[in-house]
Amino acid sequence: MFVHPLALLGLVAAAIPALLHLLQRRTPPELVFPAVRYLSEAERRSARKLRLRHLLLLLLRTLLIALLVLAAARPLMRVRSAVGPHAPTALAVILDNSPSAGAVIEGHPVLDRLKVAARAVLARAASGDRLFLMLADGVLRAGTRQDLGSVIDSTAVAPQRLDLVLAVSRAARALDAQPLASREVYVVSDEQRTTLAQGRVDSPRGVRIVALAPLRSGHLAENRGVGPVRVAEGAVIATIVGTPGTGPAPVTLRLRGQLLGRGLGAPGTAVTLPLPSAVLTSGGWGVGEVDLEPDELRADDRRLFAWHVTPPAAVTATPGAGPFVAAALAVLEGGHRVTVGGDVIVSDFPPGGGTGGPSVIVPPGDPALVGQVNRALTARGGRWRFGLAGTPGRVTGTPAAVTGVIDGALVARRLRLDGPADDSADVLARVNGEPWLVRSGDLVLLGSRLDTAWTALPATPAFVPFVDALVNRAVRGEAAVTEAEGTARVVFTVVGTDTTGATVFAPDPRESDLTPASSELLQSALQADVQDDAAFAASAFAGVGRTEITGMLLALALAVALIESGVAALTP
Amino acid sequence: MPSVQPRAVRYDLLDPAEVARLGGIEIVAQGVVEGFLSGLHRSPFRGFSVEFTEHRAYQPGDEPRYLDWRILGRTDRLFVKQFEEETNLRAMVLVDTSRSMAWRGSPPPERLTKREYADRLAAALGLILLRQRDATGLITFDDAVRELVPPRVKTGQWARFVQALLATPDGHGTAAEAALVRLTGLLVRRGLVVLISDLLLDRELLLTALRYLRHRGHQVIVFHLMDPAEVELAGPPEVRFRDPESRSSLVVRPRELARAYRETVSREIAAWRSVCRRHGIAYHHVTTDQPFGLALRRLT
Repeated sequence: MFVHPLALLGLVAAAIPALLHLLQRRTPPELVFPAVRYLSEAERRSARKLRLRHLLLLLLRTLLIALLVLAAARPLMRVRSAVGPHAPTALAVILDNSPSAGAVIEGHPVLDRLKVAARAVLARAASGDRLFLMLADGVLRAGTRQDLGSVIDSTAVAPQRLDLVLAVSRAARALDAQPLASREVYVVSDEQRTTLAQGRVDSPRGVRIVALAPLRSGHLAENRGVGPVRVAEGAVIATIVGTPGTGPAPVTLRLRGQLLGRGLGAPGTAVTLPLPSAVLTSGGWGVGEVDLEPDELRADDRRLFAWHVTPPAAVTATPGAGPFVAAALAVLEGGHRVTVGGDVIVSDFPPGGGTGGPSVIVPPGDPALVGQVNRALTARGGRWRFGLAGTPGRVTGTPAAVTGVIDGALVARRLRLDGPADDSADVLARVNGEPWLVRSGDLVLLGSRLDTAWTALPATPAFVPFVDALVNRAVRGEAAVTEAEGTARVVFTVVGTDTTGATVFAPDPRESDLTPASSELLQSALQADVQDDAAFAASAFAGVGRTEITGMLLALALAVALIESGVAALTP
Repeated sequence: MPSVQPRAVRYDLLDPAEVARLGGIEIVAQGVVEGFLSGLHRSPFRGFSVEFTEHRAYQPGDEPRYLDWRILGRTDRLFVKQFEEETNLRAMVLVDTSRSMAWRGSPPPERLTKREYADRLAAALGLILLRQRDATGLITFDDAVRELVPPRVKTGQWARFVQALLATPDGHGTAAEAALVRLTGLLVRRGLVVLISDLLLDRELLLTALRYLRHRGHQVIVFHLMDPAEVELAGPPEVRFRDPESRSSLVVRPRELARAYRETVSREIAAWRSVCRRHGIAYHHVTTDQPFGLALRRLT
């Protein structure tokens, strides 16, 4: 390893003595000297010594230049530091203040233990070191020992999950760019098994990684948490997450602080809590929460959720839509999912010229009408057209929240849907990689008629929910409720005066699994030395590092120069 | 008591390059010899004289045993007795004038070439010998004999001696054996042979010739002349050194080869000294930055 590897190009200069030796073979001046016979005799006697001396001088001069060039490149050599002042070190501390660090183990917050360990590492830093600190937000902060100490003191549990493999890889790469003798990454984490899920650290050579051993390695750290919550079929379905093997605990459902239901859930199960029908029939957005009994990790004991109740769409299906659509709408009408009306049209021809409302258009049964349909679509301002017949295949890529679960449905006949090149935003489903279901504005185009002669979909249980999704969500452009990592809250997306969506923030469900990683997993995934609390800080700045040997090379070069001078002055 | 004369300048002890700037070979040689002899208590070479002929004033360097003590007692003046000389010593000075001798390691006037140094040293040596009434001759050579002055003791011999030195140009390669063979014909009786050379030649051939001279009973003296820059290697970081005689060359880095070169030169000098001693030959290593007097003193 070299601090300035480009300086190694100067090694070409090591050829200078040899080149000079060759190039200096010019014609020497000529002098008359009577005693040439004595000269011949002297040269004959000392020829061997002279050749050896010339060779030795050539080697010494070449070695001298090579040593100087190597010194200029500032080489680093792997050494094991001795006790005492350590070599200048680039050191990064990764302090995992993810939600799981908020757990209370044996009466003490895990984060407090981690902060103590992180401070102990930094306390050993010297003025020549370069220090960095990374928290769960993934930002690598540079600073002095005091600066980073202050950051550690003020650090609280963050809502973000920290992927240790990624974090260590990033820190190691950043340290590798530091021109210091030694590089060390210290991982101060509760070492959850789930944080090591992604691959293993690809650490640059020369970067030492030390991980704090889990407090209770191999022991079960019981915890339950509320995972993703969704509202479906008149009920709230809450997924319970946590440490596998943890027993069940009471789950409660609350709306606006009012207790609406109770259940019992264990990690790995889903708890279904019915919602009162009054809640679902009143339109608009609703926010609720699912709670668990408090345990060691409080951050995942409560989870918010949101839902949107819209009035059933008033739908009219033209005869051209086919009998299966009419039958499905009849079922939905019976279930109060749709009403009869003209809000949404399902047809094989775009209605109303340029003034038609939301419409679901299927291909016309008569291929001769495709051109006419396309002209009508153009008149509606649609960006998509029906094209030539496509190959049979299966439906892929459908977003369940918008279209229901229809992936895998067989399509026997279809027309290609031709649209803009940048079509990814419009396409809701594909067959053989080609758009099959697209949405552009208030128009939804299907590549196949909803008929068993075209697709097997009408014969599957997913058909009615699919039609429900088409007329109530897809064609009306309603956004689903999305989830994101963060402090528990619900954020609504507002466009103008309309609320078009909601984002529910909550901790990553993987944070609830407090199962610690084994030392073997830590070593293999992080490429780390695993140290317990006592040895962890003591090992800082004392590991295998790289020390600069420029001084040694310069001393060696000086010695070679002295030897060269001596040999040059020595007369054979 | 004799009056104390002011001390003369000792040219023989000055830097050779400095002395060479005073004048030509004759002047320099005379100055060197005067200084050299003044520092001696006896002449470096002895002839065999038995019959007294006359007195002459004492000169520094004369042996005290020839002082006429009676005259000293009567007149308080120093005279030496001169004898009818019967010179047995016939001396030949051989000077290497090859191209390698015409080289200096430092630019003029800082340093003399080996040839310039050798000429002056030979002239001084000849003057000393002739003053002693020794028959002295000269041979200059490179890869062949270039000038030859037969050994004589007559007046004007030294002038011929010097003229021969001046007349000899810088030569080419070195082959001293030819000169030495020629020499054997000139020195019929036993005598003195002085070789001044940088010895960048075939050692075995030269030694064979020198051994032959020794075998003939001659006293042989070798001055191994080197420039200081040939003793200690220096130069640019990398240089091609070319031999001026053989034209061969070698690319070296002087700084890294200096030690091995110094050891090689030392080994070479030691080898010359050893082999000369083994054969009764006087060997003297002289560098061109040494005062002439120091080189001459090695002969005493």
